[in-house]
Amino acid sequence: MTLSVGPVSDSLAAWFAGRGIPALPSEILAIAVVCALPVLGIVFPIAGVAQYFERKIAGGVQRRKGPMVGANGIVDLVCDLLLFWQPRWKRRAFARSLERAPVLGPVLGLVRRWGLGAIAADGVKMFLKEDMAPEGADKLLFFGSTYVALLGSFLAFAVFPFSQSFHMGDPPVAALYLGAVTGLVAVSILKAGWSSNNKWSHFGGIRAVAMIVSYETPITLSIATVCMWSGTMSLQGIVAAQFRPGILSFTGWNLFQSPFLALVAGVYYVAALAECNRAPFDLSEGESELVGGFHTEYSGLRWGLFFIAEYSDMILVGGIFATLFLGGYQSPFLEDRIVALPPLAEALVHTAIVCAKFLASIGFMMWIRWTLPRFRIDQVMNLAWTKLVPLALLCLFGTALTQLWLSGRVPVAPVVHGRYLSAPVVRPDLLSWAISWIVVGGLLAALVVWAKKEGSPKPAQVRKLLGEEGA
Amino acid sequence: MNLERDGDYITLSMGPHHPATHGVLRLEVTTDGEVITACKPDIGYLHRSIEKIAENLEWYQFVPYTDRVDYVCAMNSNHAWVCAVEALLATGAETKLEIPERAQYIRVLFAELNRISSHMIGLGAMTMDMGAFTPFIHAIGQRELVNDIFEKTCGARLTYNYMCVGGVVRDLHPGAEDEARAFLDGLEKVMREFHALITTNNIFVGRLAGVAPVSAADALSYGLSGPNLRGSGIDFDLRRDKPYGIYDRFRFDVPVGKRFAGDRGALGDGYDRFVCRSLEVQESIRICRQVLDQMPPASGKEDDPVGGWCVSKAAQKALRKPPVGEIYFRCENPRGETGYHLVSDGTKVPYRAKIRTGSFCALSIFEKICPGLMIADLVALIGSFDIVLPEVDR
Amino acid sequence: MSSVPSRNPSRGKALSFEELLAKVQEGFPTVKAGSAPNGARWIAVEAASLLEVARHLKSEPSLSFGSLCCLSGVDLLKFPPPAEKDGPASDQLVCAYDLHSVEHGHELRLKVSVPPERASVPSVETVWGVAGFFEREIFDLYGIEFRGHHDLRRLLMPPDWIGHPLRKDYEYPVHYADWELKREGQAFESGPYK
Repeated sequence: MTLSVGPVSDSLAAWFAGRGIPALPSEILAIAVVCALPVLGIVFPIAGVAQYFERKIAGGVQRRKGPMVGANGIVDLVCDLLLFWQPRWKRRAFARSLERAPVLGPVLGLVRRWGLGAIAADGVKMFLKEDMAPEGADKLLFFGSTYVALLGSFLAFAVFPFSQSFHMGDPPVAALYLGAVTGLVAVSILKAGWSSNNKWSHFGGIRAVAMIVSYETPITLSIATVCMWSGTMSLQGIVAAQFRPGILSFTGWNLFQSPFLALVAGVYYVAALAECNRAPFDLSEGESELVGGFHTEYSGLRWGLFFIAEYSDMILVGGIFATLFLGGYQSPFLEDRIVALPPLAEALVHTAIVCAKFLASIGFMMWIRWTLPRFRIDQVMNLAWTKLVPLALLCLFGTALTQLWLSGRVPVAPVVHGRYLSAPVVRPDLLSWAISWIVVGGLLAALVVWAKKEGSPKPAQVRKLLGEEGA
Repeated sequence: MNLERDGDYITLSMGPHHPATHGVLRLEVTTDGEVITACKPDIGYLHRSIEKIAENLEWYQFVPYTDRVDYVCAMNSNHAWVCAVEALLATGAETKLEIPERAQYIRVLFAELNRISSHMIGLGAMTMDMGAFTPFIHAIGQRELVNDIFEKTCGARLTYNYMCVGGVVRDLHPGAEDEARAFLDGLEKVMREFHALITTNNIFVGRLAGVAPVSAADALSYGLSGPNLRGSGIDFDLRRDKPYGIYDRFRFDVPVGKRFAGDRGALGDGYDRFVCRSLEVQESIRICRQVLDQMPPASGKEDDPVGGWCVSKAAQKALRKPPVGEIYFRCENPRGETGYHLVSDGTKVPYRAKIRTGSFCALSIFEKICPGLMIADLVALIGSFDIVLPEVDR
Repeated sequence: MSSVPSRNPSRGKALSFEELLAKVQEGFPTVKAGSAPNGARWIAVEAASLLEVARHLKSEPSLSFGSLCCLSGVDLLKFPPPAEKDGPASDQLVCAYDLHSVEHGHELRLKVSVPPERASVPSVETVWGVAGFFEREIFDLYGIEFRGHHDLRRLLMPPDWIGHPLRKDYEYPVHYADWELKREGQAFESGPYK
């Protein structure tokens, strides 16, 4: 019996076996590499440097440069270590001369121009800070909550498809598993808030639990809508159902299939922002109100791990959004050519594409953070229960009706995408697609326009502030 | 809502170290979950006994201390003190200080520029407390430009010590007027962007609309003043109704709250105060432009009645023997009314100088209006009253 | 530049000091006018009748003093003896109430004098809410007790502070909590800058 998760792990196991490692260990090693590589090699590093990108995007939105740290300190440190027997001035002269070196020079110039040293500076700072717990804190819960937070996001990556063969597993209930496992974040935040022996952190923890539990419902409803449309709960199956041969592969993406799906994508994105505790839903860490909320008492690397957990949550949520609505790892054009590539090349291209998709999603989330103010907890709950849940239910119902209507008009057949066969799905033909978009989309647009007109008009003074005419 | 339950109440101490209390303010908050049942301000963390120090310094030496009374709008604080002392001198029989025209115009120009920069902090910090960091950065950038102008004239960026009894300490630096005009033009553009970003944002309006509205009677009774009072619908501005200095020479409107948030708002809520403060910035720009148009050119001589900047010798002479008696003088500071109750016993040192500030009175209303709010609303409330602690504690 | 045409909203009738004094003396004959050499004038009220006078000043429509601008305390211990007969009394603690009417535009000052040993004045907190804070501050810094205040405790100084700092005979403490405030060789007394 051979252990395998796909042709990539097979070829990797063969390569290990060719180097003299016995069969079973080489298979296990290959599986470990293939499974762990996406998380450790992609998600973790991105989450680590995301702090820098967040601050740079903040600077961009606010018309300033953002963090600008050159690499002089690190270069000096490395030279001090390598050339420890030289006098100080020689070490420094050598360090400065590296800026004129052929390869290293331009790199250091880039680091200075973009301030990339901030990444190293953040990392070193986090490592060097004192690791302490406040007096009276419940040590087990206090130290354990960081790990549970990381678990909450990394466990979900177990089912996340990075490509046809880069995934840890493809259970038939992946979507259900996702909804179950992302709830761990709520537990970890509650633990962190409670165990800090600090009323403000406690508030942060309670708010987070209320919010995350409330927003589980719209998320689950949106995932259910997509699962219903794609006929399966397996994420690879959902990706496969969005495959279209031809140049314009993006026409198969769920986002464009029906206006109900587009709406439910919006519901999912907003609810996912809340799940990640990102602005405008960052009231559990609300800096202006609760100092640091649940992570007030954490310092150094533990705090850093909370943030890595938050950023990897964002990556996860962006990735799931891409998987459910944007075709997953499929390319928007010429997907059928890419799927026909040899396994390793196909894996690399697909992983790059899905990375691009979730990086775009993260960038959008960061952009939102620096633009919008924060909700209040009752407004957050209001939004979830009185607006998002009914909307998601409406879309679920509407999608079901659309499927029913389409199944009478178009053939219901499974789609073959590389190694995967999707469940039987409806694929709207051009006429049905146009009808559904015009009718439903038009109704919704009319509703929005009517709501805007019915709402309170801006008073003259506010128009004056905005510089509008007629004030 | 039934607030009469026993137990289950959390007592929080919001402050004195807190990002949203705008200084070292401590609020003893008792909450039932997120809803506040009682809120008692506990102040005094920044008490520097400025009033006691005033009894030990001569009249003209006290000006740097007025900077520290409210360092966000130090020029206005200076202006209030020097106008109060000059008014006290004017009540005496002998002493009539004729402040040079140019000094008067410079005073108004700098006071209004400082009003603008103080409102930048007020508005910006309020939005930042609500989670929108970007408008704050825009606003602070404009404040830096004002500080640049002040730095070139008087050397300081925060506590200026620029006005003195009799005028101002030195003339404007060359090019100040052009810089001011350029700043005002740029400010209008930036403020339009600021407001496009935040003022009609649904989340922002939802946070402020209808939250703890202050009725007009309460506003008067609790001593609210400035934009806080006008936000509750009362049309009163000391610059227009009891003008001091040369404010009666300028045309400006006084924005009054009118339930700007529409159906979900109420008259006197935080949104009204926010919009009033924002409109005041526009009115200050208007006043500054009129000042720049009307200002007489510099004559180079210090005590020239038209183009000079200070009658320092006459002032020093007068301050050695001020009239015996008292005066209560009121000025419109960005945060409200700054009043000086000065008691003089005829010596060169004040007998009593009581400083009445807008933030102190605004804080007195907290105990009454906070029950029923949520903690997030409390943060928004402190920001909407634009409370700074140096004014409260002195 | 010409003075601005009347943009002021239509106000009521602003009364002069004599008219205000006459109106107040109608209801409360015991009040007296006081004045200072520089022309400042006020109405001196007995401590016992302060609350009624305050209520009357606020509620009477032609007076309508809805706003207490400033309530300041003055310690007249070191004030030079008055040159005029009806100047401020000496050796007293004085509370000066500066009132203002937005509706009419007139201003008025009330003064209540109390001896330092029995410094007790009725609280006007129920008339003007801001007096809550002002009175706490005066209690803290002058030691005047305000009867009827709902929560009279120190405002600016720490709760366990001894003494009332703004009084003219205040002695600076030598230590507070476990800090020594007086050090060898350090000038301890403050005074006018010479």
